[in-house]
Amino acid sequence: MHIPDNYLSPSTCATFGVAMISIWRRASLKVKKEITRQKMPLLGVAAAFSFLIMMFNVPLPGGTTGHAIGGAIVAILLGPYCAVFAVTIALAIQALFFGDGGILTLGVNCFNMAFIMPFTAFYLFKLIKKLFKNQKGEYIAAFLGGYISVNVAALFAAVEFGVQPLLFKDLSGLPLYSPYGLAISIPAMMIPHLLVVGILEGIITVGAYSYIKKSSPDVIYKGKVSKIKFLYIIIGILILATPLGLLANGTAWGEWGSEEIKNLMGFVPKGIEKGFQFNSPIPDYSFGFLNEYFGYIISALVGVIIILIIFKILGKINIKKDIKGD
Amino acid sequence: MVPEWLSAKDNYIPKEEKNLYIEKSIFSLIKIISIIRQNKNQDKLIYSINPTLKVVSVILMILCVSISRSFIYIFIIDIYVLINLFLMEKKSRKRLLLKSFIFPLVTLIALIPSMFYGNINNSLLIFQKLIITILLMNLLSHNTKWSEISKSLKLLFIPDIFIWIMDITIRYIVLLGEHSINLLFALKLRSIGITSNKYNSLTGIMGNLFIKSYKMSEEMFHAMECRGFVGEYTTKVNLKLKKMDYVYLAINILLVSLFIYF
Repeated sequence: MHIPDNYLSPSTCATFGVAMISIWRRASLKVKKEITRQKMPLLGVAAAFSFLIMMFNVPLPGGTTGHAIGGAIVAILLGPYCAVFAVTIALAIQALFFGDGGILTLGVNCFNMAFIMPFTAFYLFKLIKKLFKNQKGEYIAAFLGGYISVNVAALFAAVEFGVQPLLFKDLSGLPLYSPYGLAISIPAMMIPHLLVVGILEGIITVGAYSYIKKSSPDVIYKGKVSKIKFLYIIIGILILATPLGLLANGTAWGEWGSEEIKNLMGFVPKGIEKGFQFNSPIPDYSFGFLNEYFGYIISALVGVIIILIIFKILGKINIKKDIKGD
Repeated sequence: MVPEWLSAKDNYIPKEEKNLYIEKSIFSLIKIISIIRQNKNQDKLIYSINPTLKVVSVILMILCVSISRSFIYIFIIDIYVLINLFLMEKKSRKRLLLKSFIFPLVTLIALIPSMFYGNINNSLLIFQKLIITILLMNLLSHNTKWSEISKSLKLLFIPDIFIWIMDITIRYIVLLGEHSINLLFALKLRSIGITSNKYNSLTGIMGNLFIKSYKMSEEMFHAMECRGFVGEYTTKVNLKLKKMDYVYLAINILLVSLFIYF
């Protein structure tokens, strides 16, 4: 799932990078609160652990081997915020020193594997554990946490690949980066993950978890699920949706202009032909006086600024709630 | 008296295990550790260039390459990267070349269907760009001390604490890696024939590794506190430039200005 450089457009990388900066900030504040100075080296050692997990070759049916990502087990054992750091550093080391995954795409890779994956795994684990409440339930929770989280991360990666040909084309309409659209990228990523990689991740997660639970249960993360979990989910969806929505060209599904509908259907329905015209301040997300490429970058920047403003506002609402709570 | 069944010759032949997962794991761990421990020797020219300069120029070049749409520019960078490769040591040269061509070739094959739809130029561009970026990163990691690379990340506004954690991580990859190699060898010695509970033993190793790393981090903290650690960590960027570094800088400025020109 390590996306290398040049598969994605630089503006996509920049957008995800900025989204990741706000996540890292939040995580660092949380980690400072959660972790005493005594446990600070744990972050580095945990990063080494999550790096090494990827080195273990696990037997697969048919005589081949594969490897797990380990984001889920780290999240369950250390809590989601520590996992953000541990996996980020593991990914950074892979990109910088081993040439796995790109430098520019580090933000995107971190978003998929260091943010989406640990958070999905951790909250799923907590939720399912609550539903069952016995020993078996815990193991089911660990398995599903691993299985579903790696699939969600793969889905994100597939969408990031798949939107490239929609968004970035040269003058003759040929795709500039990864040329395969969503219809190809999603099945290509999801089928192996749903059938093999996800199951592998689930088995690893439940196996390592049960071993640690039996031999030294006191090292497992015991932080409570905070009440403002809902807020995080909204922020997560916003981060996901805003860059995608803003980057999307006129050809996004269901957002055709009348001319594109003519191309698609061969005729223009009368209602649309005479329907209202919405003049956006940035038509087609490109500024007329600049070439298309810079238009995209500026659009991406605008998107990021909007995300940041929304973050600020949400932060204020959050503070107000806290004051009321007092 | 020795019972008769004990003296009888046993001709038990275990069924052969087809899965080589233990060997593969050991092999990939050894590979990682050997890359980290590799001697980044100083006598060749390219090894002695200021590491900060190298990191900054490599990242800048990757950025330029990924934005550029000009075949001529990409071609010039191709040549530049290959010259760099020839300045490397003989041993690593071949390995680097092989390593950086396999992945782009796989990508090129995956791009063939799209080429049938006329997307030839862009596909070839992606192929070349991939080779350049992978080669650049691998060259950097093979000819520069890693501690210097992580130090120079400070110039990219990465906080000290992050760099510190990264340094710890690299060290502990070696320590924990050796620990897990030992565990895997123990598992290998004890498994004869076909093992039915592979997953149990392998996940057991992973669990054990986590507990070990937890303990190690506690020990490390005590060791650090004994040496006066108060929770602050600062790094210094190495910016002493020699004659050779100015030449390198000039070459890189030239290449970036070429990017603007094309």
